Amino acid sequence: MPTHKEENDRIALLQGTLDLLILKTLLFGACHGQGIARSIQRQSEEAFFVDHGSLYLALQRLEEGGLITAKWGVSENNRKARFYTLTARGRSELTAKTDQWSRLTRAMNLILSPSNKEA
Amino acid sequence: MPRDRRNADDFADEIRSHLEMEADELESEGIPRSEAERQAKAAFGSRAAASERFALRHRLLWLDNLRQDVRFGIRMMRRNPAFTVVAVLTLAIGIAASATVFTWINAVLLEPLGGVTAPNRLVTVETVTSNGEWVPNSYPDFIDFRDRLKLFDGIAVTHMAAFSVGKDDHAERVWGELVSGNFFAVLGVKPEAGRLFLPSEYGDTPGAYPVAVISDRYWRSHYAADPAVIGKTMRINQHELTIVGVAAAAFHGSIPVTSFDLWVPYMEQSVLNGVQGWMLRDRHDRNMLGIARLKPGVTEEQARGELKALADRMAVANADVSEGMSATLMPLWKSPHGPQGLLLGPLRILMGVCVLVLFIVCANITNLLLARATVREREFGARIALGAGRARVVRQVMTESLLLTGAGALLGVAATPWLSHALRYLTPPGPTQSLVSTDIRPPHFSVLVFTAGICLVVGLVAGISPALQVRRMETGPRLNDGGRSATAGRKRNRLRSVLVASEVALALVAMVGAGLFARSFQQTLHVDPGFDPNHVLLNQFYLSTNGYSLAQRREFCRRLEERMTSTPGVTDVAYSDGVPLGFEPSWWEELRIEGYAPRPNENMNIFRNVISPGYLPLLHIPMVEGRNFTDQDNENTPAVMIVNQAFVQRFLPGRNPIGVRVHGWGDWFRIVGVAKDSKYHYLGESAPAYFYVPFRQVFREDMNLAFYVRTQGDPDAVLSTLRAQTRAIDPGVTVFDAAPLKEFIGASLYPQKVAASLLTIMGVIALVLAAVGLYSVMAYSVAQRTQEIGVRMALGAQRGQVLWMVIGRGLALTGFGLAAGGALCIAAVKIIAGVSFTNSGMGTHARLLGDGSMDGAVYLIAAGILMVVAMVATYLPARRAAAVEPMQALRTD
Repeated sequence: MPTHKEENDRIALLQGTLDLLILKTLLFGACHGQGIARSIQRQSEEAFFVDHGSLYLALQRLEEGGLITAKWGVSENNRKARFYTLTARGRSELTAKTDQWSRLTRAMNLILSPSNKEA
Repeated sequence: MPRDRRNADDFADEIRSHLEMEADELESEGIPRSEAERQAKAAFGSRAAASERFALRHRLLWLDNLRQDVRFGIRMMRRNPAFTVVAVLTLAIGIAASATVFTWINAVLLEPLGGVTAPNRLVTVETVTSNGEWVPNSYPDFIDFRDRLKLFDGIAVTHMAAFSVGKDDHAERVWGELVSGNFFAVLGVKPEAGRLFLPSEYGDTPGAYPVAVISDRYWRSHYAADPAVIGKTMRINQHELTIVGVAAAAFHGSIPVTSFDLWVPYMEQSVLNGVQGWMLRDRHDRNMLGIARLKPGVTEEQARGELKALADRMAVANADVSEGMSATLMPLWKSPHGPQGLLLGPLRILMGVCVLVLFIVCANITNLLLARATVREREFGARIALGAGRARVVRQVMTESLLLTGAGALLGVAATPWLSHALRYLTPPGPTQSLVSTDIRPPHFSVLVFTAGICLVVGLVAGISPALQVRRMETGPRLNDGGRSATAGRKRNRLRSVLVASEVALALVAMVGAGLFARSFQQTLHVDPGFDPNHVLLNQFYLSTNGYSLAQRREFCRRLEERMTSTPGVTDVAYSDGVPLGFEPSWWEELRIEGYAPRPNENMNIFRNVISPGYLPLLHIPMVEGRNFTDQDNENTPAVMIVNQAFVQRFLPGRNPIGVRVHGWGDWFRIVGVAKDSKYHYLGESAPAYFYVPFRQVFREDMNLAFYVRTQGDPDAVLSTLRAQTRAIDPGVTVFDAAPLKEFIGASLYPQKVAASLLTIMGVIALVLAAVGLYSVMAYSVAQRTQEIGVRMALGAQRGQVLWMVIGRGLALTGFGLAAGGALCIAAVKIIAGVSFTNSGMGTHARLLGDGSMDGAVYLIAAGILMVVAMVATYLPARRAAAVEPMQALRTD
């Protein structure tokens, strides 16, 4: 499995999750990178700090994977901005990943929670 | 997926836009603009780093992944040493075998000559007879070519010859070439020491150039690489020649796969061998192999056109000897002369068998990887669930497969030089044995490239189906249950069954191939050569190298015959020019037959031998009509000739051959007898037209002398007598390599022998590999069924029943494989049976495979052996499975 090391530890955490978070954010409509970063920070009650450099690379990766598309447009403040939209594939990937994620967290919880009743 | 290549500027724009928007937002939260911009930048981190990561995103990820895959692959290999050893060894065997065969092909076909400059512009020049066959060139033709062709950077000719080197009584025979003076210049050979021939030595004056060039090998073995030897003289054929230089170490002469040690200007023929001047000017005397160098930028087509135009003009100008002749050129490896012509057919077939063995190797590795992929299903499932891309896992599997093949290839390449050396042991016995290049060259670049290619192909082929298996894997059930989903399992089982069956099929093809070749080799051994080679001692004299004149040679023969005949135990003595079924090419003469009108372009060059009267009786070749030669057929009586039955059938059907006049050597001969057909060049040949003329009427300077002694007992017993008698006549004549004729004619079986022995080796390798593959797969599939077997036994199945169930399945698969393999064999044999090989430029064709190609016994034996292997391969694991305690089996998972 892709075990990244040292300084990449944070990315390792993000690799599985950041993609998921981006997809989730875009479910509510097209958005530019800065908006996505803000949105994730806000929604996670500032628990996640999104590394902006990594975010744009993740966006690029998702775009190349065909999960999102991008188009230059104009922001609410009349700034030129690149807007990302979820594709159909991105939508189904989001469903699958969410499902997987909940199974994983459930399994992790079962093991880690101190009151392990199912053993 | 749409993947517009997004450029770095666009990415930088996006970052700029991000920073502005972020600053806007911060500003709206009440932070002053300049501070907001600073914070936005700080939050973003290094823009340069991001841009760099953007630019390198594919490459970095790729490299990083590769490093991980390799490290992980090595860890997996170390954790399963048994698996790794079996896989790597299997691969090493397969790869070493193919790399070795490729090394030979490389030496024979692709880089036939070492030590020459720009070999790709060298071509061999062949004279073409009126019916399209290739023959060597004459010296006068060479002079015309040399002086008139414009598109060539020179043309040279060479004639392979044996020299007797050293003082009278301890002379040594050295093989070399009599060459035109420009030989080294045309080939572009560099001297190792001293110089090669100078332009002043390129002339055509007989006996004017008493110089010699020796090989690096000879220089080291005979002169301890002493540079002082340059300028010294060397006694060659009783004449002193000055050693002017040593040829580059990589240069072994102009005939592929052979090593020569001495080069002497052809014009020295007249001094060394007593060849008369007129023979050097005789266009009939076609015994020179031609090599030419194309000018840069000149295509083969253009050069061939120019050569042909000139040769056609020459044929008209010299119509008396060259009517209808032409000339052509071809790449060196296509030259029909020299051993490479013999090796071509067997090597091609060998390559085919190698591919077969490689297939078996692939099937084995695929099987092993598949088996392991099943074990590792849970691991793969977990990786995919945790977010590893499916492609990533597929790549991991491929990397592991390539790692294995890489390790196998390394081992294989290490073994290759050692194996290539083995070609030497397969060369024919007799005079040419010492000729075959014996140096082990380190693996050539092209060989390494070839091996790397094979390794890649095998790695990909073997890895592809396990990788596909992973791709098809659904993630869900893998994590949840034990990892043995029923449907996927069945699909995989089917795939594995196909692999086992195909492995059996391939092994059958390889074994049947080997068997058929071995069989046809055996059959040819039993073919009646038409003469009796038993109890005959053969020695070839090179009297011309002793400075004998023609008359002296005749006298020598007469006296030696006389002395040997009176030796106790000797029943017959004879001598001739050519040796039947010898390795050296047979010679021919252009004939005109009274009362026979040749078809336009019919080849009237007929093979011949020049013999003493005792020759036919000694070899027990019966006369079917007329009489044998006698001592009265000599210089002073009318010329006579004996022809064979095929000659009569071809030229004199329905006529009484006795008394027919035949024209050759500028003289009319009268046919006095018809001898029974025998084998002349190959045991496999169908009798060609052939004729004999008496030694005393035709013998010329350029002919050889083979001396035969028939004994009552072991022919080796008279060897010492022959030596003593020879010495008594002339102490300067040495008996170099007398051998029983029976051994000598083994040379004619060379191609079959090479094919048979190499294919037998390959057959055994194929069998071993198939057995290993069969066993590992059977053992694995039985192990997979341990639980099921436990259930069955718990439910009351008997041990025997369980055993039979497991073995039955294995045998069924083997049966399928055998059926498929049998069909393949029949198809392959049809193709191979069409392959023939050529002896000389005169195109005597003989088949590689005898009539036994449909030999049922070979098929049955091969199938039987495979069946037994399959039995053992299934029985052992089945017994283990049946011996398991049912409860324990049920518990295992």
